[in-house]
Amino acid sequence: MTTTNTETEITLPADEPVIEVRRFLNAPPELVWQVCTECEYLRRWFGPRRLEVSECAVDLRVGGTWRIVHRAPDGSEFVFYGEFFELDAPHRRVGTFVWEGAPEHQAVETLVLEAVEGGTMMTTTTRHDSLESRDMHVANGMEEGIIDSMERIAELVALV
Amino acid sequence: MRTTATAPLTEIQLDRAFGALADPTRRAILARLSEGDAGVLDVARPFPMSQPAITKHLRVLEDAGLISRHRRARHRMCHLEPQRLKQLSDWVGSYREFWETSFERLDELLEELQVPGSLSPGAPAPASSRQQEPRHRQGSNRQPGKTGEGEGT
Repeated sequence: MTTTNTETEITLPADEPVIEVRRFLNAPPELVWQVCTECEYLRRWFGPRRLEVSECAVDLRVGGTWRIVHRAPDGSEFVFYGEFFELDAPHRRVGTFVWEGAPEHQAVETLVLEAVEGGTMMTTTTRHDSLESRDMHVANGMEEGIIDSMERIAELVALV
Repeated sequence: MRTTATAPLTEIQLDRAFGALADPTRRAILARLSEGDAGVLDVARPFPMSQPAITKHLRVLEDAGLISRHRRARHRMCHLEPQRLKQLSDWVGSYREFWETSFERLDELLEELQVPGSLSPGAPAPASSRQQEPRHRQGSNRQPGKTGEGEGT
């Protein structure tokens, strides 16, 4: 049996307002698809342990919506919701991802499940719609990249 | 919602801050200000650009909450606001934490679901996984499953 790397790979491409998360999972795509799309299972893994999934609703069809509420021990709630654009079980799901705290920002999230030896490679790509940023920074916006910014943050945090 | 000193940043604040950091001149300005407050002329000196251009960069940094400006005598001084950088750094860290802890839980769930007979009552059977041999465990960092089966080899 090959030893498979289960490290979570987070990539912030230099030229797009995109965040990509990749992770190997030790199960076939069909099962991963199920646990990523059914509330019964989402409740049991989506989000940090300290946050309880207090509400979950998924209408898994094109044009259908989903909504998940995370509740922190102090009672504060974080509400996320979105709509499915594209569904190709068990390989690809595309839809919006919105945080209720900033509903004007609709990120588009693409989930891709690829069968690989011994399991599934899961990739979620979140594309942020940074109109605000674009308007504000006509000259330079985000295009130069946030990965670079991340590195710079680390440097700057070390400086201050 | 805001319960800690470093309140979570809104998407707009994140966009502004990352947008502001996406420019090398602005990063250089922040690095300069990390050494101490400086007037606009001092900030502008190392750069081959006009003062209005620098002023524009300063405004972007200020809008992003990365610096503040105040008057000292007749000069406008620029001051680094490290708190915003800290918030950005925390944001990146919490994003990673969110996914890493989610995936740990997902690993456990998938493992449990692949032990024959362990599906919750009434749960739809994941057709394909039922047909397959139980997966091998990875490494030895796992708790044993609920049954002794499914260990592969």
